[in-house]
Amino acid sequence: MVRQSLQPTRRRVLASGAAVSAAAIAGCIGEDGGDGDGNGDDVADISEFQYDREEPDDGDRSDSLEFLQPAERDEDFDPVVSFDSYSMQVANLVFDGLYEWDDQLELEPKIADGMPEEEDDGETYIFEIQEGIEFHNGDEVTASDVAHSFTAPVEEETQNAATYGMIESAEAIDDYSLEVNLEFPYGPFTLSTMAVPVVPEEVRTEDREAFNTDPIGSGPFQFADFQAGEYVELERWDDYWDDPQPYVADIRFEAAPDDANRIAQVLAGDTDVIDTVPATEWDEVEGADGVRIHGSRSPSYMYLAFNCNEGETTDPDVRRAVGHSFSMREFVNEHLGPAADPLESPVPPITNESGNWDFPMDEWEGMMPEYDPDQAEQLLADAGVPDDWEPRIIAPEGGPREALAERIGSRLTEIGYGADVQGMSFATLVDTYNTGNVDDYEMYLLGWTGGPDPDVYYYNLFHESQEGVAQGHFYEGQGEFHDNILNARESADQEERRELYISVTEEILEYLPVLPAYTEHNTMAAREEVKDLHAHPSVSYNPRIVSDYQNTWIDE
Amino acid sequence: MGLLRYTTYRFAQAIPVLIGISILTFVLANLTPGDPVRLMLQGVEADQEMIEQIEAQYGLDRPLYERYLDYMAGLVQGDMGHSFHRNRSVSELIASRIGPTLLLVLSAYAFALATSIPLGIIAAKRRNEPFDHVSRIVALIGVSTPSFWIGIMLILIFAVQLGWLPSAGLVYPWWSPETYGHDGYVEHFVETIRHLLLPMIALGTLQMATLMRVERTQMIESLQGEYVKLARAYGVPERTILRKHAFQVAQLPIITIVGLNLSTALGGAVLTEFVFNINGLGRLFYDAIVQLDYQVIMGITMIIATMFVIGVIITDIAYAYIDPRVTYGEAE
Repeated sequence: MVRQSLQPTRRRVLASGAAVSAAAIAGCIGEDGGDGDGNGDDVADISEFQYDREEPDDGDRSDSLEFLQPAERDEDFDPVVSFDSYSMQVANLVFDGLYEWDDQLELEPKIADGMPEEEDDGETYIFEIQEGIEFHNGDEVTASDVAHSFTAPVEEETQNAATYGMIESAEAIDDYSLEVNLEFPYGPFTLSTMAVPVVPEEVRTEDREAFNTDPIGSGPFQFADFQAGEYVELERWDDYWDDPQPYVADIRFEAAPDDANRIAQVLAGDTDVIDTVPATEWDEVEGADGVRIHGSRSPSYMYLAFNCNEGETTDPDVRRAVGHSFSMREFVNEHLGPAADPLESPVPPITNESGNWDFPMDEWEGMMPEYDPDQAEQLLADAGVPDDWEPRIIAPEGGPREALAERIGSRLTEIGYGADVQGMSFATLVDTYNTGNVDDYEMYLLGWTGGPDPDVYYYNLFHESQEGVAQGHFYEGQGEFHDNILNARESADQEERRELYISVTEEILEYLPVLPAYTEHNTMAAREEVKDLHAHPSVSYNPRIVSDYQNTWIDE
Repeated sequence: MGLLRYTTYRFAQAIPVLIGISILTFVLANLTPGDPVRLMLQGVEADQEMIEQIEAQYGLDRPLYERYLDYMAGLVQGDMGHSFHRNRSVSELIASRIGPTLLLVLSAYAFALATSIPLGIIAAKRRNEPFDHVSRIVALIGVSTPSFWIGIMLILIFAVQLGWLPSAGLVYPWWSPETYGHDGYVEHFVETIRHLLLPMIALGTLQMATLMRVERTQMIESLQGEYVKLARAYGVPERTILRKHAFQVAQLPIITIVGLNLSTALGGAVLTEFVFNINGLGRLFYDAIVQLDYQVIMGITMIIATMFVIGVIITDIAYAYIDPRVTYGEAE
């Protein structure tokens, strides 16, 4: 309903300030050399924090490295069991994958000998593995070990079961080839699932509990010492089968969950490398002597979701109005700086590039609502939103997402409405954002980290089966929205999947159950003596230490 | 009532207190908003069936009173339950974390006692002189400054700027020197002290300031006592008056404060451990609250409550032992 009243309502009075505010923002950005459209285009580039390769003069191979993690590990180092990134940071140096992601998040063979042979329209894959690869105990890696690595998570009902749940069987044909049969053609199999870390079946099944805290793999490092809750020490395995051999002789992992302490340790030279530089500390670390920030784009995806089940945000025009009411780019520049990029589509750019999807990202960017408070105000008025509308926006407390919620709230206030912004502990939030109840929320801010396959985002964040579990927008979809997500998941034809995802994305951008927000980069800070260190797009692959594109060493 | 009987009586009194604490903590922890299973599965592909399966596995689908009775039945047999977030027994987790916390708290107390008592005595003796004014200002700052802020400042000055002391962690004296790559026990001891200094000062400053204020006041009172005046009149040397007549009497409130402030120190240890990246009970407790790891919350609360109750009982017994005027509850 369009309100015709000319009375100076609270909304009209407040709205008069919006134009002034928008002009001020545009003016400021114009002065800084931006395009003056109020969108603050000067987004810092993370590539400034990537460095050329550096080789040591003497080839010394006795370096020790200490790496501080930003959270405590669950201390599960068996990849069949482990599903926390920080235990996997350790495990990924101990185990080799059948395939592994390179620095652009593209999957490349490691233990596998080339790409698999696909049969039965993607329901069967035949893998060949390289001969002569040994585990740390001297046993040869066989096809049977690979088969076990694929099937154990489901057979043992570990928390990784969902990742391999589509595998019907995996059987060794001989010592160096195996056949994997899927229950249905599973789209993400060739981009994600094949990156399975290979475990030695015999040693592992002999004593699973012992294996979990004293694992044996075929990777460049082996377990040396471990104190639960304190540290893990790895030492270089001198008989490593692949090239290059690491320069680093041993690595010690410790956790330092407090950002300030972690940064103090690297600034004081008490540690060599720390994982994650928070945006709030970026300038301090960047300006410090003797420390360098290393960064990489990542497949993280932060978003603003709307309650499509109850309340004013069930109307797509209201959702679009909220999108017009603030500038995501301006927010990212101000609050996150080089630590993040604004997003213009429901998949991060690195997912599009690493999976060779060739999605029409520019077209999608054009479909995103631009910062335009006048249009926001008009849309809300046309939608008949009451003057005293104050949507509840919930977000994890104390971080950039809460700051974004506050930004949206203040922009809505400027155009005459308001917002009830609530920062919540994560425990409370995960119990609140998926009720669909308007009294709990009309918008929420959360995130998801995926990989090179878009299925991770579309299935978990949009498919109806995830309502009340991983998503709380309860968007019903038009026509075949949910079928398309499922069909894309259960197809091995990438072109077909691409078309389905384009259809799904265009609907998302038209109806906006979710507004893409920003992608956070993976970052590390290291002492300048640490050379040839490169941040990887996947958190669990950091510190990579040794690969085709890096061999970390310390310039003593 | 004799000492043994009094002690037994006080310990018997502690049992209902601990049961009350256990009920309160269990109910409050479980009523905290949030679902630990959903929290654990955040970011993982899951469905409702999987959530319910995990809830059943950890008994979270059962009524609260059943879970409490089960917990207490286990507790009296020494089983403190299982951390579903860390997949380890709670007693094992606590055993691995209590050492660093005790090292930190006890050393902070040692620091506080070693500094506050001499400073309090000197301030009392030189009442209204410059030393007294300075010590009172220091005490006021110490009482009103949070330990975590002191910790951050100490790290910035002594670790980041001057590079004299390490910025984080403890060296555990009970681990072998080889674990840390130290050359023998001398280096091991020196490193233990170096790592302990900053967190000890950060946590101990509040206690030091509190005790110093009390010590000063008590000493002033003692020094004005009739028996001190009499001793002076008899020509007893001032040093002897201080040490023998005034000092002993003035220590009774200090004993009480030390016992009762144990809980404050353990509370302060949570933040100090966080700031100095010490893997103690405090950090474990904080993580358990964030992760809604009920059994760990219960376990640590019960340990701290037991330590506090024992601390209070020991204080009472010591008080009665030191001061003949205090009885074990007998009618005069």
